[in-house]
Amino acid sequence: MRLSILGFALRALSRRKARAFALGGGLAFAVALVAAVIFMTEALRGEAERAHAAHPDIVVQRLVGGRPTTISAAEVAKIADIPSVRSVTPRVWGYFFLPSLQGNVTIIGTPKGGQTLTIANGVLAEGRDITLGEHEMIAGAELATFLGLRPGDELGLPSWNSDAHALKLVGTFRSSLDLYTADVIICDEDDARALLDLPRGDAIDLAVTLSNTAEARVVARTITERLPGARVIERDLLARVYHLAYGRRAGFVLGASIPAILALLVLAWDRASGLGPDERKEIAVLKAVGWSTSEVLWAKLFESLLVGASATALGLLLGYAWIFWLGAPGLRPALVGWSVLYPRAALTPAVDFAQLLGISLSVMGPFALLSVVPAWKAATTDPLETMRT
Amino acid sequence: MNNSSARRIASILVLSPVLVITGLAYDAHARRAAAVHDVAAIDAVASRLPTSDLALSGGARWLRAISLEEPSAAFADGPALPDPDPAGAAMAPPVELWSATTQPPARKPEAPKAPR
Repeated sequence: MRLSILGFALRALSRRKARAFALGGGLAFAVALVAAVIFMTEALRGEAERAHAAHPDIVVQRLVGGRPTTISAAEVAKIADIPSVRSVTPRVWGYFFLPSLQGNVTIIGTPKGGQTLTIANGVLAEGRDITLGEHEMIAGAELATFLGLRPGDELGLPSWNSDAHALKLVGTFRSSLDLYTADVIICDEDDARALLDLPRGDAIDLAVTLSNTAEARVVARTITERLPGARVIERDLLARVYHLAYGRRAGFVLGASIPAILALLVLAWDRASGLGPDERKEIAVLKAVGWSTSEVLWAKLFESLLVGASATALGLLLGYAWIFWLGAPGLRPALVGWSVLYPRAALTPAVDFAQLLGISLSVMGPFALLSVVPAWKAATTDPLETMRT
Repeated sequence: MNNSSARRIASILVLSPVLVITGLAYDAHARRAAAVHDVAAIDAVASRLPTSDLALSGGARWLRAISLEEPSAAFADGPALPDPDPAGAAMAPPVELWSATTQPPARKPEAPKAPR
């Protein structure tokens, strides 16, 4: 019986095609927009968290006037003997403005030791890792392309320091790692120090690795006591920063989408505010030929479900295709930012079955329920009176 | 449209969210599984990077390592306040136009000019 009412509901909708398409189209657009922003934000958070595990447990910076400044490498001794500290590494890295690029690149000095970067381990697209002391560099694929560099080419960066050497490109990062390496130049620590004009004995920050990460909070407090004025950043707290940072960007985009969401609310109001004269007449005829109130209510509920379900499905499909199949044209600059060095790597979806179901139910549930009240009002009035008016 | 075809089409439309959700969840799972191959590469490269922050809008603002540079990076100016210098502007210029305003460096130095 219910299946017959469902079939009747579809035929009733087909009699009011224009209204059904307008309602469904508006709903599908709003769902696609909101779902796309959620999909992309979750994907960006996921990408940041994928590299999170390799981040040092604690980073120590020195603050002067509330702003980060260089820290003496001699401070390592004050941290190294804290129980649970496995290693303390002074790091040399910083930004370098390239006038030809009208943007910053990130120069990173590689200390001795560490994992070798190769084509085999999937890091490099071409070439090899740098040899320390040979004035070599590895650059992001996007940066190398923009500068027109190929392995074997040399690049002289316009540093203040006359000791800075021209660097020979010996490898480029794989483009699938663009989100991490688009603006990166990795070179020898001495070359980085010269390019950044960082005095010997100073570092940008100290990377602290712990043998027991559960003690990070205690170690951080000890470091603060031993280095008053230092800024101590714990890895676990950074996860919150990522969530807030990407959430804020998503909030801006959703804020800009308020007109579209308002359109959805207007459509919902249209459902809530009552039925049109044709629909009232149709309900009156149904009652006159013997339909019960509950059957009329089921018919109206099914009409809303048909529009809501198909629009939600279409909206989800469009949102997903927009972000992950088409590369999020139009939306990506709003959430990823924009610059000359633009990471173009495809995003990995972080959305799962439960989230998709949540989005669907939050749209379909209210939409279907909104149609019940006006239908109930119309179904409980006298059919003769409705037809006379 | 007869009764049976209307019932069939209507049933498919009502169930369409389930079909789409299942399909998209499967596609997302497959893409995540394919991305697992990149984990070793990301770990290797991330160990050299100063932070796990993504290379977002590197040239537009000093936001490359937001987590290390701004003590409250997520709230550049205050909780929920608009960013006056938006790195993620909703209305970004086309990348090609932005790139066209910059000039890549000449790869070969110019020959010295002859004295007048």
